[in-house]
Amino acid sequence: MRRGTEIDRLYDGHAQPLYAFLLNFTRDEADTRDLLQEIFVKLARDPGLLAGARDERAFLIRLAHNAAIDLIRRRSTRERTKEHFAAESLSPFAPAPAPDEQFFRDGLSEALAGLPADQRAVVHLKLWEELTFEQIAETLEISPNTAASRYRYGLDKLRERLRPLYEEIK
Amino acid sequence: MDDFEQRLKRQPLRQVPADWRREILAAARSAQPPHPASRGPHRSLLSTLNHQLSTLLWPHPKAWGALAAIWILIFAVNFSMPDETPAMAQKASPPAPETVSELRQQRLLFAELVGSRDAGDADRSKTLGPLPRSERDAIMAA
Repeated sequence: MRRGTEIDRLYDGHAQPLYAFLLNFTRDEADTRDLLQEIFVKLARDPGLLAGARDERAFLIRLAHNAAIDLIRRRSTRERTKEHFAAESLSPFAPAPAPDEQFFRDGLSEALAGLPADQRAVVHLKLWEELTFEQIAETLEISPNTAASRYRYGLDKLRERLRPLYEEIK
Repeated sequence: MDDFEQRLKRQPLRQVPADWRREILAAARSAQPPHPASRGPHRSLLSTLNHQLSTLLWPHPKAWGALAAIWILIFAVNFSMPDETPAMAQKASPPAPETVSELRQQRLLFAELVGSRDAGDADRSKTLGPLPRSERDAIMAA
């Protein structure tokens, strides 16, 4: 009974950020659901998995990141072209009520999809999880300098691609 | 953070579909191992020990495993090699009677040479140890 409530607690506490993080990689609802379920099944199967983790969220995001990278590698063998991937992709952002805002979110979603996976992960964790570079470094098992440089490279690419849209809306 | 970053940060992320919760948690519960209480206290103790060890060895489990394997190898080699020191001591046989009698004759001869009044004393005394300095001087003078 208690173990049931423990897995419930983990889901309620972390499913939303894990979902958004995974969706930013997979851009596919079915794949995201499979990966999210895979993570919680793993946690249920081995209740001691989180025992050695200093930061529960960071540990779960690392699991999600590894699962997403594995999926991208598997997928790259069957989906070679980015155009095909982008055409079917699901935006990680909520639908916007205003058309201009929706246009910007679509552009941002597409620009994010164009980033390399390592830069996308850092940009996501910095902007939407509000982690520091030290926390990102610990989560992704990289150095803080690497996290910071990946963020800057990623942000510069987003800025370049979104400048026309951003100027228009502003 | 500049305006552009703030703008990106304000974009709300898509919400996880509500119906996933029930399905994912059902799948997770079905994957759970049997409850520890049904396995008895012995198993619970073992799992606790395993958990504590996992926590302790988590940072470098392979390095700890390799170290343990090296120690096991060292112990195995150590126990497989026969220790010959006590065996040699056991194998050493007592001196033969001929040797003993020959040694006794030599002592008697030596006692006669140094002018001992009672050759039997030489036989009885522990002559294997060093003589007092005064007696050694007497022997040298003779």
